[in-house]
Amino acid sequence: MISARNIEKTVTTSEGELCILKAINLEIKSGETIAIVGSSGSGKSTLLGLLAGLDVPSKGAILLNDEDITQLTEDQRAKVRADHVGFVFQSFQLLPSLTALENVMLPAELNGVSSAKALAQKYLERVGLVSRMHHYPRQLSGGEQQRVALARAFASQPKILFADEPTGNLDTTTGSQVIDLLFDLNREEGATLILVTHEKRLADRCQRSVQLEGGQIVADTQSPQADAVSEIG
Amino acid sequence: MFALRLLWRDWRGGELGILASALVLAVAIVTGISLFADRLQQGITSQSSQFLAADNVLQSPRPIPAEWLQKAESLSLRQAQLLGFDSVVYAGENIDAPMQLAAIKAASDTYPLLGQLEISEQAFGVSRKVDNGPPAGEVWLDPRLLPLMNLAIGDRLFVGETQLLISRVIVSEPDRGGNAFGFGPRVLMNIADIPATGIIQPASRVNYRYLFAGDAKALEQFGDWLQPQMQPSHKWLSLEDSQPRISQSLKRAEQFLLLAGALGVALAGIAIALAARRYSERHYDYVAMMKSLGATSTKIMSLYVGNLLLLGVISTLIGCALGGLIQQLFMLILQDYFSLSSLPALSFRPFMVGAVTAFVCLFAFAIPPLLSLQSASPLRVLRRDIVQTGLSNAVTYGVGISGVAVLMAWYSQNISLTLAVLAGVILTFLIVGSLAWFLLRSSTKLGMQAGSSWRLALASMRRRGMQNSVQVVIFSLAIMLLLLLALIRGSLIEEWQLQLPEGTPNHFLVNVAEKEVAAVADLLAIQQLPAQPIFPLVRGRLEFINGEATAELIARTDPSLANNLDREMNMTWSDIPPSDNVVTAGKWWPSDSDEALVSVESRLAQRLGLKLGDELLFLIGSQRLSVKVSSIRELDWESMKPNFYMVFPQLLLERYPATYMTSFYLPADKKLFLNQFLRSFPTITVIEMDAVIKQIRTIVSQVSGAVELVLGLIVLSGLLVLIASVQASLDSRFQESAILRTLGARRQLVLGSLAIEFSSLGFLAGILAAFSAELSVYALQTTVLNMNYVIHPWVWVAGPLIGALLIGSTGYITCRKVVNTPPVEVLRQL
Repeated sequence: MISARNIEKTVTTSEGELCILKAINLEIKSGETIAIVGSSGSGKSTLLGLLAGLDVPSKGAILLNDEDITQLTEDQRAKVRADHVGFVFQSFQLLPSLTALENVMLPAELNGVSSAKALAQKYLERVGLVSRMHHYPRQLSGGEQQRVALARAFASQPKILFADEPTGNLDTTTGSQVIDLLFDLNREEGATLILVTHEKRLADRCQRSVQLEGGQIVADTQSPQADAVSEIG
Repeated sequence: MFALRLLWRDWRGGELGILASALVLAVAIVTGISLFADRLQQGITSQSSQFLAADNVLQSPRPIPAEWLQKAESLSLRQAQLLGFDSVVYAGENIDAPMQLAAIKAASDTYPLLGQLEISEQAFGVSRKVDNGPPAGEVWLDPRLLPLMNLAIGDRLFVGETQLLISRVIVSEPDRGGNAFGFGPRVLMNIADIPATGIIQPASRVNYRYLFAGDAKALEQFGDWLQPQMQPSHKWLSLEDSQPRISQSLKRAEQFLLLAGALGVALAGIAIALAARRYSERHYDYVAMMKSLGATSTKIMSLYVGNLLLLGVISTLIGCALGGLIQQLFMLILQDYFSLSSLPALSFRPFMVGAVTAFVCLFAFAIPPLLSLQSASPLRVLRRDIVQTGLSNAVTYGVGISGVAVLMAWYSQNISLTLAVLAGVILTFLIVGSLAWFLLRSSTKLGMQAGSSWRLALASMRRRGMQNSVQVVIFSLAIMLLLLLALIRGSLIEEWQLQLPEGTPNHFLVNVAEKEVAAVADLLAIQQLPAQPIFPLVRGRLEFINGEATAELIARTDPSLANNLDREMNMTWSDIPPSDNVVTAGKWWPSDSDEALVSVESRLAQRLGLKLGDELLFLIGSQRLSVKVSSIRELDWESMKPNFYMVFPQLLLERYPATYMTSFYLPADKKLFLNQFLRSFPTITVIEMDAVIKQIRTIVSQVSGAVELVLGLIVLSGLLVLIASVQASLDSRFQESAILRTLGARRQLVLGSLAIEFSSLGFLAGILAAFSAELSVYALQTTVLNMNYVIHPWVWVAGPLIGALLIGSTGYITCRKVVNTPPVEVLRQL
């Protein structure tokens, strides 16, 4: 599904060139759930951005469904994202001037889907927020906002879902509830899930865990209990 | 459809309030002003055309060829004819019947083409307006003639060999202002009765006036057709020729209104640009999110531009409606001056001007900041710290300034005025910007010793040094424009009123014999009528210039002068330069001089190529007088005072037969005094200018009223700019206030520092505004408006005061929610 080949990312700072990622090789299969873990500054979010086509590497190639997205223009990558990708962010990234319903409708509206509203309502119902769909983000709690973000991510029916520290801004209880919902929805939709986290508990629920240190992959392990935990959880 | 939904969501979120209000205001100002200027212009022109009683008049000492009139006919021009001459009229056939020299005007049935005659059924009775003059067989008289000649309505007046029924008195005529029809009391008769009078003989001194009215293009075409066929004695008169004072006032008023309109739009433009910039800054996240969801930059741009165009259309519609309303308001306020029914209907053009303004504003001010959205990186959804680089400021400002320039040039149709104003604005930006930056920097030292609110405020001012400099420039630009308009308006209106102050002489006495001078002065003094100095008048003809016959010289150099110089001119003597005259070359003779010298008016001297020392030979009566040009004088032909081309030393000219003239102010309620005066001095001619002066004053007050209203609208745009500008810094203030309050700062402290910061910025902006307003007024008055410059001390007080109060309170009110929002809510959004 996704293949990262020998990618490298360097940025220019006032103190010269800074290498954030180097020699990253990664194969992610369709339907897989994978956690990218590592300490702060290890390059997790940068890798996520590259895999999702939000940014391009300085070197190397990233194949998504056998198409090298590093060779595409920003607009072509946008098309790829529209067709295949969904996001969940640490800071929710809901647009403050839109209601919950409108936030969830946005991806479908951008793609010109005529049944955007019905689709959005369906997913809001799925995350249990249909009664609050006309509320603005500031009127919702953190957990509720992240649930709206989940509804928005799945409403575009993505083949791959990228999640960047989805529980980073939530307390433990709310975080667990959001995680349960994330995994449930992911299983229902059959999407590939790639999430960045530094929470071991969350990483353990994924089938596979990739650990980054100083911009390099230092470990790539299968987590045997992943599915079992989510089944029991 | 999605664009409409997006627009609605943005509107609901309060993102578009300022942008839309500024746009609506720009359209409303422009539409309102052009609608009003359009109607005012047409209204005043038609009112002023009444000075001619026509759009154009062909004046001739002889009847004109019939084919000229046929040509006018073929162009569908309306026509009327007038004959004017002075003649003695009698109250009866007896030898001792009262008689009086009268100014007779014979009019065709269509007279007047424009304006109305005011008549009354009895002398000094209630008047009413009529559209035409007397029918054949009847005559209307100046009310003064009735008591003067012991006549009453219904009696007969003997004119030449015929007698006419006195059916009305004539109170006013639209074209009384020009002195084409003699100075005596008016007798208005029908032109059909002229042959029966037998007065007009081939050599009679008669003034023929052919009146034309109709379509402006047809009139122009007719004028062009006439020009090559006209002889020097023919004159093609338009409003401009007959009333240069009015047409000049009108032009200035129009220029002022347009300038004010353009500045209003510039202000609204700044507000639009600021609001659009804030809008796009707030939408970076929005766009990054949409991009991460798969929207292409083309899609995003089409959404935003479509959104904006939609906003443009809606704002135009609302703005046009408001503009119409504003215009209606103008008319309501000015209804005392206008007869609303006589005004032309609303035309379509002003609405178009408004719509074009809206879209130029959008493209010049709103689109450039929005374009930077296109390049917003989708990576922002992961990393908020990614700095957004939009178009460079130079490009953004460049496009905005070009937009304003295009609009100004379009409104004013005057490139040099546009460039002058633009140069002023840009210069102000540069000078004020660097001054503001310097002053803000130097507040560092001050801040060290100040109390806590002050320290906070000064620290904030320093921290936002660059941003604050720009803000101060914008504030001061807004205040400057307000001051500028107030200044120009003040001096404009003042100048108009100074031209014709209350008590301006409105009656002229000419043909006063030397022995009557003392008696006239006494009579005026008894009636407490303030008289102007008495001028002697000697009539003479300029025959030779440096030995060359004048006629030959002007045929060679300036044939258009023939009209002025082939007849006797009025000359006077004086041993001091007449008041208001300025000697520009040579020097005035000492008193008691009897040297053969003359002082010549500068424009005539220039046209004749006269210089100091040239020799002029005058024919006065049958005697010749040879003199040398000893000085050249400049004078104001537009003043309501006697002016002379030639002035001589007293001892030189007083040897020749002279009459005298003077002028005085006669209040309307003392009009009957003229009867007493004319009975005492039957040979003196009275020229009544009161109607003309009244009409000019009316126009001045109309235009002044309009100017004040426009000013009000500009103030509104200025306020919008202030609010938009304060809002621009709102987001960062939210964060700072939240952090400060989390750290334990009291609400009062934060509020106090906000008030201090904005008031200080306003105060600074006000000082700079006063400075640049004075500079601009100086430039405008000396170059464009041709007025004299004086410094205005009040500006230096009002500028900083208005600045501190206005910006202090606007900032305080707008930023109050900064401290009213719970810090946790702000911090959660960081």
